[in-house]
Amino acid sequence: MNRHIEITRIFDARRDLVYRAFTDPDQLAQWFGPDGCSVPRDSIEIDARTGGYLRFLMTGPDVRTRVDTVFTEVVENELLAAEMEAAGVPGVAGPLRVRLRLEFHDEGNDKTRLELRQGPFADGQLGADTRSGWESSLTKLDALL
Amino acid sequence: MTDDQLSVVFGALADPTRRAILARLADGDATVTELAAPFPISMPAISRHLKVLERAGLISRSRSGQHLSSTLRAAPLQEAAGWMERYRQFWDVSFDRLDAHLRRAAPERETQ
Repeated sequence: MNRHIEITRIFDARRDLVYRAFTDPDQLAQWFGPDGCSVPRDSIEIDARTGGYLRFLMTGPDVRTRVDTVFTEVVENELLAAEMEAAGVPGVAGPLRVRLRLEFHDEGNDKTRLELRQGPFADGQLGADTRSGWESSLTKLDALL
Repeated sequence: MTDDQLSVVFGALADPTRRAILARLADGDATVTELAAPFPISMPAISRHLKVLERAGLISRSRSGQHLSSTLRAAPLQEAAGWMERYRQFWDVSFDRLDAHLRRAAPERETQ
């Protein structure tokens, strides 16, 4: 089984606008995060350059996840590649570390194809003792970064 | 399932021959001889793959007559897939919202 998530999604918006939705903290706060959780605008810090960072807090009734991301490669309007570390992920013992790659492609007619790859989701990340907490929070937070 | 068990399941699934064996067992129980038939590898090699799958709880083996028959056990497979699915849902939900956000942000492009 592939330990990576791969998602392709087409948005009805120009490539630079989709890219900006990921890199503008005002916009990110409006859409990012699972149902029942919010990413407070004032918790977001971003410097979208190679070697830069993205940090934010995801909060909900049973959730307080801090995500610390370092951009390993950034090409404006084309690519965001990052290493993420998330602390306080429900059901995960210790920090979760994964790589994230977002590619922005022109799809014609001012549409944009976003290709996401995230992983590897691997060994030792699911703690048996926190499993029930994970399950109970799933109704609100179906997952996490 | 503990993290160690999950690791064993992922490890067992990380091999194409073992995945093919599981796919074959999804159609029904089979003996080692039957399972080995499609593969250009020896019976002992198939037996080793079956041991890995059994240890991961992905199959169980029982004796029927002279033959050892393997049966697919789907639960660990569903658990591993379900765990990954939760991460996928995170993005699906977020992207639904991003889609709406982009439409709001660019009202001049909205069409009937």
